[in-house]
Amino acid sequence: MSAVGAKPQAGGAMDMPATIAGIILLLVIVGATYFMVGPGLMFMALIGIIIGGLAIAFGVHFVPVGGAPAAMGQAPGIATGVAMLAAGAGLAGLFGGAWAAEQGLVVAVVTGAVGGGLMMAITCMFVTFIYVFGMGIPCASGKVAKDPISGDTQAEFKSQGNEGHGLPFVSYVGGVIGGLLGGGGGTLIYIMLLDVYKEALPGMMQALPAQVLPIAVSLAGIFAIGMFLVNAVLTAYNITGTIEGPHDPKFKRFPRALVASAVASALCGMVAILIVAM
Amino acid sequence: MESIAFGIGITALAGALATVAGAAENTESDIGSQGDPNSQVQLAPQMGYLHRIFNKAIAGEPPAYGLWVCLGAGIAWAFMAMQINPILALVLGSALAVFIQGVYATTAYLGRTASLAKFGQPVFVDVLKSMTTVTMAHAFVAIFTTVTMCHLINAALGHPFPLPLLGLVWGIALGAAGSATGNPFYGKERQYQSQKFGAGVPIAASGNIVRYAEAGERNSLDNGWFSAKLGGPASGLCFGLIVFLEIWRTVLFEQVGAGWGAIIVGIIMILIFAVIDRYIEVWARKNYGPYGKPAEEGS
Repeated sequence: MSAVGAKPQAGGAMDMPATIAGIILLLVIVGATYFMVGPGLMFMALIGIIIGGLAIAFGVHFVPVGGAPAAMGQAPGIATGVAMLAAGAGLAGLFGGAWAAEQGLVVAVVTGAVGGGLMMAITCMFVTFIYVFGMGIPCASGKVAKDPISGDTQAEFKSQGNEGHGLPFVSYVGGVIGGLLGGGGGTLIYIMLLDVYKEALPGMMQALPAQVLPIAVSLAGIFAIGMFLVNAVLTAYNITGTIEGPHDPKFKRFPRALVASAVASALCGMVAILIVAM
Repeated sequence: MESIAFGIGITALAGALATVAGAAENTESDIGSQGDPNSQVQLAPQMGYLHRIFNKAIAGEPPAYGLWVCLGAGIAWAFMAMQINPILALVLGSALAVFIQGVYATTAYLGRTASLAKFGQPVFVDVLKSMTTVTMAHAFVAIFTTVTMCHLINAALGHPFPLPLLGLVWGIALGAAGSATGNPFYGKERQYQSQKFGAGVPIAASGNIVRYAEAGERNSLDNGWFSAKLGGPASGLCFGLIVFLEIWRTVLFEQVGAGWGAIIVGIIMILIFAVIDRYIEVWARKNYGPYGKPAEEGS
């Protein structure tokens, strides 16, 4: 879609039949997993994976992404794709979270969240740096008259013939929140799967826990990255192109992505758990 | 104490490698027009502006670099498992990954440009011959430094992820940081150099990219030269800071408060970067001033 066509459209209405079908599908997948593995570590892992997926899908909506128009200073946001940037931040968080995995679930998830937030904080700061010092362009939003956080007026700082440019402060904060949620969600999925694999693989492969640890870590890591991309790409479809951050009317579409993400995470989680459960 | 000094040394080296990787990645993608500015290179012939800019958008930079760095790391990891010297393994793994990049670059240029045949855009074989090797050289620097950085994180700092997985994670992060920072500088400042400085490109000017240089037609080596002046170094600094600060806070503060020390330091750093960002934003508003009413001529 061109920047001309990207007029603010809320489009946040939920399609009720699709939503109900999604919720039924989710319940069926969760029920089937419960039936196959019973209550316990594996079932709790599935719930954790769904929560992690929801955090990623919600977080991606916060990330200000301007796509191709942003690269020409025609629209605000970061000049890259939604799924790309969210994946970069979330995986940087996963890197930190996986490192802290042995310090417990809460510390690892918060470490992952802060890792994702830090990646976005640095990246967004450099985006502003390039716009201001490299291109001489101040930041201006095209969707709101005033920045909801700083209160700065936006319209007079928008250059002629385009929709705004750079990252107004609300977009910066949105980027950091998106990184926090993405990093935390990705790490939660990783920890949940790691616990399942550490528990199930020694019996399955007739080996000592220390011997299967590298396999458990690799398997959990690759599944966590895969599920991260599933949720990020699903959300990118919901956003359709570009979004400025939490103040953008498109942000209101997030409930749709949450339903879709819950179903997708549950299905992926079920597959990831069943490879060692059956 | 000795282990902390060792950890800090490795952290600094990893940060330095990441800085070089970011700069090389952005310059490579700008020479090949791989990031979002590619939309304009692809659009220009459709608007009647034929050009000699290399056009090799294979995928977004993050998945492309995720693939190449993961490939390089995976091959290096396999060589190391065969007891080959790690340094040689890293070089060989990166070199083989670069050949894949070269194949993708060639097919992408031929395919993308051939699709513009109905608008009269020719496929320039000399462009293919002279540009592909240059992007491959830059890609080698980016891939080798990132794979080496991942090896240091895995072997010296003891991160639990195996080398190929670290390659995938940091390859995607490298592409994300490089494209976010470097794309606007190439897209606005270079491709639309004829437009006014200090303002976004009017949407009506889309496709009218600069096609002529001081002598003859502009080629992508000129674009690499230009973006190596600011977009590349800024991308390098961005990715270097991400890697350095992420490892630094873990190595130094992980043991403080059962892991919460690293978290608190991370939050403080996020707040510091937020303050710097806000300062730059306000500085621009004060020093550049408003453009004036939309009806008037933009300043």
